[in-house]
Amino acid sequence: MNRTITMNLGGIIFHIEEDAYDRLNKYLSTIKGYFKESEGCDEIMHDIEARIAEMLQGKVSNIKQAVLLADVEAVTAVMGKPEDFAGESGGSEQQNKSSNSANSDGSSNAQSGRRRRVFRDTDEKIVGGVCSGIANYFDLDPIWLRGAFAISLFVFGTGFLLYVILWIIIPEAKTTAEKLEMRGEKVDINNIGKAVNEEFEGFKKRMNDFSNDVKSPQNKERMRSTMQKIVAFIGEVLRSFIKFLGKGVAFFLTFIGIALMIGLLATIFGRGTISVFDSPGASIHFSLYELSSAILPDSVPISLVVIGIILLFGVPLISMIYRGVKFLFNIKQKNRIVKYTANVLWLFGLALVVYIGIQIGTDFSEEASVRQNMNIIQPKGNTLYVDLKPSSEDDLEITYNHHHKIRLGDWTMISKDENKFRLGYPVMNIVPSTTDNFELVAVKSAQGVDRKEAEYRAKKIDYSINQVDSTIQFSSYFDIDNADKLRGQDVKLVLKVPVNKVIFLSKRMEKIIFDIDNVNDALDSDMVNRKWVMTTQGLECIDCDGLENVRKHKIN
Amino acid sequence: MNIENTKAQMKKGVLEFCILSVLSTGDHYPSEIIGKMKDAKLLVVEGTLYPLLMRLKNDGLLSYRWEESVSGPPRKYYKLTPLGKQFLKELELSWNELVDAVNKTTQK
Repeated sequence: MNRTITMNLGGIIFHIEEDAYDRLNKYLSTIKGYFKESEGCDEIMHDIEARIAEMLQGKVSNIKQAVLLADVEAVTAVMGKPEDFAGESGGSEQQNKSSNSANSDGSSNAQSGRRRRVFRDTDEKIVGGVCSGIANYFDLDPIWLRGAFAISLFVFGTGFLLYVILWIIIPEAKTTAEKLEMRGEKVDINNIGKAVNEEFEGFKKRMNDFSNDVKSPQNKERMRSTMQKIVAFIGEVLRSFIKFLGKGVAFFLTFIGIALMIGLLATIFGRGTISVFDSPGASIHFSLYELSSAILPDSVPISLVVIGIILLFGVPLISMIYRGVKFLFNIKQKNRIVKYTANVLWLFGLALVVYIGIQIGTDFSEEASVRQNMNIIQPKGNTLYVDLKPSSEDDLEITYNHHHKIRLGDWTMISKDENKFRLGYPVMNIVPSTTDNFELVAVKSAQGVDRKEAEYRAKKIDYSINQVDSTIQFSSYFDIDNADKLRGQDVKLVLKVPVNKVIFLSKRMEKIIFDIDNVNDALDSDMVNRKWVMTTQGLECIDCDGLENVRKHKIN
Repeated sequence: MNIENTKAQMKKGVLEFCILSVLSTGDHYPSEIIGKMKDAKLLVVEGTLYPLLMRLKNDGLLSYRWEESVSGPPRKYYKLTPLGKQFLKELELSWNELVDAVNKTTQK
């Protein structure tokens, strides 16, 4: 004994056993599944059900009133397997169905020979359907195009203009034929009907599914993964942008590295002057070669200096260039040997430079000074006139402007010729004389590795004066031999003035006087172009009337 | 590939033609059409017919009318439309050509 279900099939009431019902239900559902996509699905189902009902009617009678499983099996055998006849419905419907379920927006697989044109898909549009339309043409998911456009909006809004242009020139897919062409599906009666049906069914379904789908976890997953995809996409774009920037920086650095390298080599090997500085406080217009020969002790050949500097500065520069080029062209090879060698070379260069520095340094360890009395003829009157040598040839400032000159504050050095260096300025002080005569002492000092050498160098400093009647002309410079090297040579002049005698400082003297003690507390700049008398307390101004900063002092 | 599959494909190709031919002799309902084809030894499952008939009707080649049946649900009686008749004539020509061509190709 079995339970039966009362069933209505094709308008006829049947009593059907449970298992038979399940079988029949499954059968019909399967068939329906195959025809879901095609037009007239309901009608087909109706026909089939009617036919089945007709056949089942023949299987029941007054004696056998219920439909059994065997009956259902017999009937379905006659009808055929669903997959067999489902393929009949208008040209590979089955294939269409499976391909449709794979593509989310109903675009068909690329069927060869189908006509494709770009339309705007206004049914699936966000703004103007441009991205949907183009995506349809290429069988892409429109989200990538939308993302690209959105990002390009940030790049000076190029995307906006492009989008508008596309919006204007790409036509809208209005007729069904156009809509099919947009997706690459063949335009024929079947597809058109299918498309129309799709629209309608789709709309109904959307309304129904919307409320369900929004809450379904599956959709949330889909949305999340889409968000992840977007984020990943943006990340990719940013990463490539940064890489691009990085390449730009690398190129820039490489360029600078090469430029500096060239400069370094030119500096070392060029004999011409390189102007490094030119400011009020300091200026350097000198060739490295001359400078080195001036400073380096004879024991250190200049080639060592060259090598040392090249290694010390060149190795980092070259490695910078090397790394820049590698980065620019994505070369990945790491050459251990190269790195190792570079490091070793650099250390060697450093050692060399340090060694040379020490060698130079020791040459400056001792200082010595030598006092030399310089002959001056006493003036006929009371007043001694003091001036700088007038010849412009002797003026350090003018003649040697921008040529072979180094100036650091008050200290100036000029390469006069093959044999001599000219240094300036000597410094003068004025003190009372212990005798009745004007006296001049030159204090020459220099440095060396020991006292003897320092003294020798000091003595070799060449300083001269010129006297014309009551005027003494001082040189604004002193000369040293190349061979003696630059070793802190210095000249200090002490002019001794007897009490009650007068001295007149010319304007030019401002260059070499330095903080001369005077009773009026006048500054150097105020002392020049004036007469000063030596008193027991010090120099006193004779013609300082009208000077503001000068203290008036009564002449005793 | 399955030989059964190929055979089925072959049959599918000519099915429309056969249906139209059967209907050219008069109006019939689906199981009658199946019966006539079975008589001619063209074996097709019934299920195949329904969607096909639907399509032919949608294409305007067939039309149907309902007839009450003594035993059972009402039946659809299909008949050829003038367009269907024209279609059939063309298919006949095409079929003959095809038969010739295939025969020639498969002759050894």
